[in-house]
Amino acid sequence: MFAAVTSVALVGIDPCPVRVEVHVGGGKEAFQLVGLPDTAVREAKERVRAALLSSGYRFPYRRLTVNLAPAEIPKAGSAYDLPIALAVLAASGMVPAAVTGVVALGELALDGAVRPARGGLGAGIVAAAAGFPCLLPPGSAEEAAVVSRAEVRVVRTLAEAVAAALGETAPSPPSPPPETASGASVDLAWVRGQALARRALEVAAAGGHHLLMMGPPGAGKTMLARCLPGMLPALTSAESLEVACAWAAAGRPRPIPSEPPFRSPHHTATPAAIVGGGSGVPVPGELTLAHRGVLFLDELGEFPPYLLDALRQPIEEGWVHIARKGIAVRFPCDVQVAAAANPCPCGYAGDRLVACTCPPAGVARYRRRFSGPLLDRFDLQVAVPRLDPADLCGPEGEPSAAVRSRVAVARRLQAERGALNRSLSRRDLDALQWRPEATRLLRAAADRLALTARGWDRVRRVARTLADLAGVGAVAEEQVAEALSLRAAG
Amino acid sequence: MSDEARLRLAFCGLHPDRADRLKRAFGSPAGAVGALASGRVAAPEAVRAAAALPFAACRERLARLGVTPLFRGGAGYPAHLADLPGAPDVLFSKGALPAQPGVAIVGTRRCTRYGTGLARVYGQACAAVGWPVISGLARGADAEAHRGVVDAGGAGVAVLGCGPDIVYPAEHRPLLESLLAGGGGMVTEYPPGARPEPWRFPPRNRIIAGLAGAVVVVEAGETGGALITAAAALEQGRHVFAVPGDVGRATSRGCNLLIRDGATPVLDPADLVASLSLLLGPGRAPAPSGPAPPVEGPGRALLAALPPGGAALEEAATAAGLGVAEAMAALARLEVAGLVRRDGGLVLPGR
Ligand SMILES: [Zn+2]
Repeated sequence: MFAAVTSVALVGIDPCPVRVEVHVGGGKEAFQLVGLPDTAVREAKERVRAALLSSGYRFPYRRLTVNLAPAEIPKAGSAYDLPIALAVLAASGMVPAAVTGVVALGELALDGAVRPARGGLGAGIVAAAAGFPCLLPPGSAEEAAVVSRAEVRVVRTLAEAVAAALGETAPSPPSPPPETASGASVDLAWVRGQALARRALEVAAAGGHHLLMMGPPGAGKTMLARCLPGMLPALTSAESLEVACAWAAAGRPRPIPSEPPFRSPHHTATPAAIVGGGSGVPVPGELTLAHRGVLFLDELGEFPPYLLDALRQPIEEGWVHIARKGIAVRFPCDVQVAAAANPCPCGYAGDRLVACTCPPAGVARYRRRFSGPLLDRFDLQVAVPRLDPADLCGPEGEPSAAVRSRVAVARRLQAERGALNRSLSRRDLDALQWRPEATRLLRAAADRLALTARGWDRVRRVARTLADLAGVGAVAEEQVAEALSLRAAG
Repeated sequence: MSDEARLRLAFCGLHPDRADRLKRAFGSPAGAVGALASGRVAAPEAVRAAAALPFAACRERLARLGVTPLFRGGAGYPAHLADLPGAPDVLFSKGALPAQPGVAIVGTRRCTRYGTGLARVYGQACAAVGWPVISGLARGADAEAHRGVVDAGGAGVAVLGCGPDIVYPAEHRPLLESLLAGGGGMVTEYPPGARPEPWRFPPRNRIIAGLAGAVVVVEAGETGGALITAAAALEQGRHVFAVPGDVGRATSRGCNLLIRDGATPVLDPADLVASLSLLLGPGRAPAPSGPAPPVEGPGRALLAALPPGGAALEEAATAAGLGVAEAMAALARLEVAGLVRRDGGLVLPGR
């Protein structure tokens, strides 16, 4: 009379178990679906009926009530066909009740075949947590295979699913996803010269600071930014599962690499593509794809101001909140921002050989774009000049791995204090230890260089990171001095 | 010619060519002012109102601004300028105008670091010998030449293309103040309130050339104010020097053309000073200023490695033999001490 099969729905990027409950009762024939289903779910009835008949089962022409619980989670897509069909079969007594001891996901074709559906990774996570085997069609099963404790069984038809759920046939193990090298990352060893930018990158990696690189076209800003993921500590397995979930929620299955992701959205991308949203069920944007990694904003001056404004709060909080009628979701976006910009509209202000052709008022107007609430969060700014041709054939630089090990030490010291230096508030900074000469230099700088209160905080955050890299407790004058040179110029 | 009518005509702020035509047409400055004030010649309302301003009101306004009017042929008006045809009847000035001819150092506003560096070095070298250095306070080469004068503690003159109460560009106000504080001067033929309109600058350049015994063009494209100054200098019989540049670079083309047409190429500051000594005679060397604050260690090396036109920090660090972290720390200390400043990615000596 009653049966329930577990499936999965996404809340933000987090997979949550959904109970697909079916009651077969007496009375007039009916098929009622409750529990916040969308249109695709409502159409399940026709597909389930046809699939049952094609697979040699009867369809119970009685009063069927299907409930997707908990009711408050929105459910989308055709992925619930397979669990509904299994629950209908169990509730009407056509197959043993043991068939319900699984987590299932998949769309049914009219001939009884099971088609891939979004959420394979989530199903794997839910199944591992529940201690159930996981029935997934080819195309979804591969995603779930990355969850180490999940027992994944690949099913191509409804009949295979029933057999697999009852343990009658040996499940075919899904092939592990191909291990693609993360193409985004560049090794620092390939970068010639640019000692200053390398230092800034190391400091950015060590303290998690947002970094702005200013330099003419062709100076190599993009290549430098691409080095950043390889300088960051490898993701823990929990973190990489989070990253995989974020990508899966955006409909982009991704093998789990240990390297932090790197995303570089174009300045012409829509706010929904960058921040998240879209029509229908909200989908994560580039911010969330960069979760636990690096968001690179190339040509920062070209990004429309409203877009930069839209980025500010999520970047500060580490969450994107999307609310609309009946739905409120949040996507994680714990990102480190790297940005690149030309020093002026023509790109050659301050260049060794090429004269800047911009009208001075234009340069001033352009530079004003690099102030504002979002840019206030950039602790580091560094000039990246075009290289002297002599530097291009210089020796290879230090590899990313060497920097990464120093970064790891600095990050451990921060973890012991309880927070990444990027997120230190004014009060936190006041509570840190400063040597008297360090404080003296800070005061003199505030006075002579007209540092604002926020600028003063930025310098102190960076100085703390430099002290962590140097392995010292109280911040010394030396670190404050270097931090001053890494602040926004002019 | 009465000072009164000349001053009232100058207060109209006309283009000098137009003022000359009116003087000829109406026989005298007084006639021209009368014609403007009465509306017998068409003129904008602001010009008519200025023409109607009584002499006493003009004097009073100048006194309030601390501006001294100098009359051609009168006291304080540099004789070497007064001798030239087309020299302004009235100059509005602040500070001291040198009685002897100086060196004009000019160049394009869109200078490369090559040009700005040279302007500063030549400004320094000439000021150190004691010659007045004259330039136009514009961005780029002009400002750097003035800065070189301030570095050397010499006397410089800024010739403006607007009224004496306006600083254009506004960000050069501190520079102008340093010039005046260092015993230099500021001069313009335009009356108080005259905006820096583009048409005011070409005539201004004949005053730059006129106050100088020689003109040095550090970097100039094929068109622009620096070449107008050079042309005015040649017309006035002044000597023209030009700094040769990369033949492929647009901003050097003007200089290279001047050299082709007979300007003396300048190779280095010592070479320039040697050539100028023959033309200008000995200058009055400025009294040595107090000792510079002592800088030790990496800061000293960095400062020594910094060319006058500035450098990217990385270049300066390499030249000084410093690691970047060390160089960054040294830079910040120098910046706080007021010995260097940063502009975009460049580090420049001085404030
Ligand atoms: Zn430019």
